[in-house]
Amino acid sequence: MTGPAILLLLAGLGAIAWVSARARALRLAGVARASGRRDAVHSLPGYHGWYVALWTLIPAGIFLAVWANVSPGLVTQSVLADPAAQSLPMDGFSRSAILGEARAIATGAQAGAFNPAANALVEPYRSALSHYGIAGAVLALVLAFAGGAYAFTRVRPDFRARTRVERLVMATLLIASLLAIITTLGIVASLLWESFRFFSMVNPIDFLFGTKWSPQSAAMGYGNEDAFGAVPLFWGTIFIGAIIAMIVAIPLGLMSAIYLTQYASPTVRKWMKPTLEMLAGVPTVVYGYFAALTIAPALRDFAVMIGIHGASSESALAAGLVMGVMIIPFVSSMADDSIAAVPQSMRDGSLAMGATTSETISRVLIPAALPGVVGGVLLAVSRAIGETMIVVMAAGLAANLTLNPFASVTTVTTQIVQLLTGDQEFDSAKTLAAFALGLVLFIVTLLLNIVALRVVKKYREAYE
Amino acid sequence: MSAERLPTDWKSDAMRKRIARRYAAERRFKLAGLLAVALSAAFLAFLLFTMVGNGIRGFTRTEIALKVDFPASPLLLDPANITDEALANANLPMVTSAVAQKVLGKDADAMISPSAWIAIRDAIKADPNILSRTETIDIPAATAIDLAAKSKGAPEAEAQVARLRQAGLLATGLNWGFLTASDGTDPTQVGIWGAFKGSLLTMLVTLLLSFPIGVATALYLEEYARKSWWTDIIEVSINNLAAVPSIIFGLLGLSIFLNLLNLPRSAALVGGMTLALMTMPVIVIAGRNAIKSVPPSIRDAALGIGASPVQVVFQHVLPLALPGILTGTIIGMARALGETAPLLMIGMRAFIATPPGGVTDPATVLPVQIFLWSDEVSKGFVEKTSAAIIVLLAFLLAMNGLAIYLRNKFEKRW
Repeated sequence: MTGPAILLLLAGLGAIAWVSARARALRLAGVARASGRRDAVHSLPGYHGWYVALWTLIPAGIFLAVWANVSPGLVTQSVLADPAAQSLPMDGFSRSAILGEARAIATGAQAGAFNPAANALVEPYRSALSHYGIAGAVLALVLAFAGGAYAFTRVRPDFRARTRVERLVMATLLIASLLAIITTLGIVASLLWESFRFFSMVNPIDFLFGTKWSPQSAAMGYGNEDAFGAVPLFWGTIFIGAIIAMIVAIPLGLMSAIYLTQYASPTVRKWMKPTLEMLAGVPTVVYGYFAALTIAPALRDFAVMIGIHGASSESALAAGLVMGVMIIPFVSSMADDSIAAVPQSMRDGSLAMGATTSETISRVLIPAALPGVVGGVLLAVSRAIGETMIVVMAAGLAANLTLNPFASVTTVTTQIVQLLTGDQEFDSAKTLAAFALGLVLFIVTLLLNIVALRVVKKYREAYE
Repeated sequence: MSAERLPTDWKSDAMRKRIARRYAAERRFKLAGLLAVALSAAFLAFLLFTMVGNGIRGFTRTEIALKVDFPASPLLLDPANITDEALANANLPMVTSAVAQKVLGKDADAMISPSAWIAIRDAIKADPNILSRTETIDIPAATAIDLAAKSKGAPEAEAQVARLRQAGLLATGLNWGFLTASDGTDPTQVGIWGAFKGSLLTMLVTLLLSFPIGVATALYLEEYARKSWWTDIIEVSINNLAAVPSIIFGLLGLSIFLNLLNLPRSAALVGGMTLALMTMPVIVIAGRNAIKSVPPSIRDAALGIGASPVQVVFQHVLPLALPGILTGTIIGMARALGETAPLLMIGMRAFIATPPGGVTDPATVLPVQIFLWSDEVSKGFVEKTSAAIIVLLAFLLAMNGLAIYLRNKFEKRW
């Protein structure tokens, strides 16, 4: 019996269990009420229905999940026990290739065999598959009936079906919330594990403080020594994300927030705020394409015009400028929030002393809101250094340790993409280096976020 | 005590100058603010106009009206027996080229698209009777001609276009193929349907995983969990996950889903699972805010007439919080739809010319398709890339618009 059919059958059984248990509970409750023992009815009939349906479905479902993982091994074993399998080669690789082919033909996934040896195994495979398929289906149905029957006998007016069902609901909610922890652990564990393998090949000191990055030469067999110095990548990331992008984003974001909160009429504010937020909603691949197609060539022409040497069509400036624009809404909404959190009395006090609005803003509001603004900037930096597509498309691949914004630089995220989208052998230092870079990126962004949230929180408490 | 201060003489020259200076500074400051807003908005407008300007031409294509004299052509086909096999054996590409050379001149091969024969095949399929007469069929022009006809192309192509125009053979038609075809090597025949279907499948997986889990987590944390170190850890994890760079999720997907669990590479299933891990924290945070805003009096009233805590939440709190949760979900899904980097990590950048049939088939998504096309050297791909960007932006705009609409429609002040 095939998978979808058995699942459909189980669903049908569950529905029948629900309806019949509910009907029985309804009838029993009616009898109990008629005999005058009103307090004897505990749960609504629907809960009895759910209780029985869950008992029908869950044990059978768990069994099927386990069976799906166990049965392929059992099938292969029984095929190997067949006389036709005696002639199989002993060498593991060709053996499993023949078995895989026979299996594909038996399930109908493949029409004919490349390897004639596979043909002999098709029949044994087919019979073993149907054998174990029927066994699994029968066992699942038996479990469903047994579970359902057990639960059905417990349907009684005074049975606390609701408590049982609700306990399961609570367990489901708890398990769902554990997923966040499991994901976090999964990220940390996979990054640590692969990085550990990388650092067993490359010295961590060389990685963190080396200034020469050429994983390609290491992959071609020139050795791992000083090919994995990541300092140029760290510099490129900081140069683009924390310097150029912030030079664009901080003034524009901060001034936008000030104008929209302090000067703009409500209508202007109502329209401009979502417009600026659209900048954060544009996919980064679009920004990357825009930077590479429009901004970068224009900047290179400009650099050539003013006579700068080494101007490249993939430049730190192009990526940084566009990334800065993308970051504007983050800075402005954080600044907006922290300016709004400054007590009105401070603003009124300053204005009453005769200060102009701009003096009030720059001498009272901004200093008071500074921790929030700084927190927002830190969050923006964390976002900028983790951003991938813009730098992949516009910043280039050359690992330069340069101060020239018109030169091509490379970043941590660019290199991760670069290292993991060629050939992927998971025992080469070249591939594993991506995970080490990922680990560094994860730690840095995490620290930035924690510090930023601390700063913002501390400041909030001071005024509330 | 200090000496009595003189009253300020507001009319003195020095004072007036000072005030004028302060007011000028005020105006400058205000202007700077306005400039910042205007500059940001101008950048957005520039971006959108550039994309629309480049991309709108991607939705049209240049066609050459080719007069095909079927009886005189070297085509050996029996009108009564038009099967796919017969058409495949008729060597249409060669015949098309021969016919085009007869009608358009020696350089015809440079003028018509390498896939022009498909138009002729489809015409024969639609009406086999045209084999017995002369018929004019609109076939797609080659990329060089297409570009030269729409804007500025190479001088050679410009000359050919001028010649074709004079003969009245050139026309511009809507490029339906762009919406219905998949990736290819020839820019005149590529389309976004394959990537779009991949996006839909990926979003489906993401939604089916992240929505129930996100809502369940939000309910648990907001309604049931007592504050303890345990719930603190859950909360910190969720807030951290919301701030982790997306490419890190790609690394997680690569090492856990692909290398450890051996799930299929490039599949919408793995893409959806990876994006679901990213989207879940967004839904949890939005969900908690929505649940928090349901007033406690509603819970108290339900508890007061004997409902159990689970009944209170599922029959009263959740329905009231649902619009807020949905708004957050749509915003999270919009972000997932535009995401590229984590999907590159799990191999969704493969060249895939057929739309995926299911969630385990190799697939690509719209943003990745844009990324792949942006790397193509052929000039015809520039407008295709921009056109695909227009489609993606239109979708994101629609999703965000829906979120704003829902928020306005269901926003309640308790």
